[in-house]
Amino acid sequence: MKACAAALLVCVAACGQGKAIFNVDVYSYMAGTGKDTIPYIIPPATSDSASTVLKVSLPPGFGSSSVDSVKITTGNADLLNAGGTGSIGFSLYFAADSAGTYTAPAALSIPSTAVSGPDTVAVAITGDLSGIVDSLFKQNVLWVRIQAKGTNGGATLVSGKGVLTALLIRVVLQDKVF
Amino acid sequence: MRIGVVAFALVLLVLAPVRAAHAQFSFDARRFGMGGVSLGRDGSVSRFNPAYRAVKKRSGLNGAPKISIPIPLGLVDFLQQHPLGRLRYDPMFNPDSAGFNPIALMNLITSPPIFYDLKKPPAPTNDVEFTIGKNAFVMDLGQAQVLIPEQEFGLGSTSRVLDIPGPGFAGFHAGVMWFLNYDIGMTLDDSLRRVLKEADSVRANSVYSVRADALGQSGIAPTLSYSGRLTHGAGGADSSDDGVYLGGAVHYYLGAGYARGQGPAGFVTGTPVFGTAPTPLLDDTLWTSNKAFATGFGGDAGVAWISGPFEVGFGINDIGATLSWSDTKVQRFRYFSAGDSLSTELVANHVPTRTKLPITYVANSAIRMGTGTTVGGDVVNSGRGTVIHVGVEQRYTVFAIRGGVSRDQRKHMQFGFGGGLRFGGLGLDVGFWTHSPSLSEKRAMTMATSISIY
Repeated sequence: MKACAAALLVCVAACGQGKAIFNVDVYSYMAGTGKDTIPYIIPPATSDSASTVLKVSLPPGFGSSSVDSVKITTGNADLLNAGGTGSIGFSLYFAADSAGTYTAPAALSIPSTAVSGPDTVAVAITGDLSGIVDSLFKQNVLWVRIQAKGTNGGATLVSGKGVLTALLIRVVLQDKVF
Repeated sequence: MRIGVVAFALVLLVLAPVRAAHAQFSFDARRFGMGGVSLGRDGSVSRFNPAYRAVKKRSGLNGAPKISIPIPLGLVDFLQQHPLGRLRYDPMFNPDSAGFNPIALMNLITSPPIFYDLKKPPAPTNDVEFTIGKNAFVMDLGQAQVLIPEQEFGLGSTSRVLDIPGPGFAGFHAGVMWFLNYDIGMTLDDSLRRVLKEADSVRANSVYSVRADALGQSGIAPTLSYSGRLTHGAGGADSSDDGVYLGGAVHYYLGAGYARGQGPAGFVTGTPVFGTAPTPLLDDTLWTSNKAFATGFGGDAGVAWISGPFEVGFGINDIGATLSWSDTKVQRFRYFSAGDSLSTELVANHVPTRTKLPITYVANSAIRMGTGTTVGGDVVNSGRGTVIHVGVEQRYTVFAIRGGVSRDQRKHMQFGFGGGLRFGGLGLDVGFWTHSPSLSEKRAMTMATSISIY
């Protein structure tokens, strides 16, 4: 990793006053692992939540850099509702370790989307995380927890699963390597 | 630490095709104005062509000055912009500054600000974009991709730090010279080149490396040389310089020491690309001399023909210069990921090895017409690419106008033009020339000014 990072930093250093832009494909860390799927079963007249947590590796050496912006530029999920009528929302939590994602405040909350009966509903996940999780994106490792939060106001069980299909975070750093 | 990284970056990037410095090593604005051409007798080709040592030094040869004194307008401008007392805080020299640009610093080193830059060498300051995924790592260096060399890059030179002709008679001289030769070459492997140059993704379980081959050697060489005039023009020896001149030298090289390193350095990615630590790759061989006084013979040869206003010459140096080192140590350096250790293994000791000095050659021609017109050209190769200069000068009474073109070591066309004024024994020359710094494909333009004493 050091060699890779050194090569990367050489490239960054060579570009003078330019900025380092990282497009972190978070979804690629989930795809094929099952972590891109959050099943939900919400009993009648209740609210419930389920989460998936994953670790994202980032290039080292940017601890001293300043973060200009952190944005989710592309984010998509499908709500594959099997039955029932309710609403499902998503929240994203970022922390330096796995446990921290359960205590950190939500960095981004996507308004609930209504689901009803067997259906597939697309949800867009975008937002500006700047100023909320900046320092975390200067570290080598980042943990992300994606929570699906559902509400069932009806009389029948709401069940299904949320499947993430894309999540790309764009981080713009003012290079200050080392 | 950052400075170290930046320094490494500079070395890595700019060892690169070093620009043709033939013209830049001169302080003569006249020469810059003529595209860097060296005009035989009044140029610097005698360094390469031993035949020219037999040609009489004549002052005022069609406007050639005895000496040129540079007017360092560039230095004055540079010091105004970068006061000496504030260098510590100057973004150009302070890697901690947000305005620090290593390419601008490297341009400064490779293009010292002796003369005034009309158009400064461009320094890319673009954003660099990385795409990071579990099994993807794409580096889009933008404009900076032009800095990544396509082929082997490096630098090399053979210098004669001291060349003392010594006493002699009848054209023969016994002397001694101190030679210094270094050559550093690096080649990116195809995978790494695609990643840096074409924004291809780093892939899992793949090798990315730079192959280096660096040699440095130095020593002295007692020399027996001859330069003489083979034929005379009509009218006898002293009436003109006309004739054919021959020169040659035999060197007995005594190497003082050498070192050579060769091998790859890089890393091997794991699966996934991010999330597993790449394994450093280092498997290099180092040869070093245990004892001084490697021996070897080599020679120089040169010929020059002068006929009235026309002259042509060809010189070649270090022909067959192979040094035999009787006592050499060969070591292998390898990195082992298990234990994160670097091992040094003695492959052989007290074994003989051989090194070579690269051949340097120069061909030149010039014609000095009675109308005040001088046209010249030269071709120089000192081991790392051929440099070609062609230039012309036209004098009208006290005025002179000049122009020229050159092709540098990176095969880029460069241009020069200028003029001069001469009043008796004193002259003022100005020359403009384009040049491409090592870290850019674009041209910069510099104005040289010098005072000539005739």
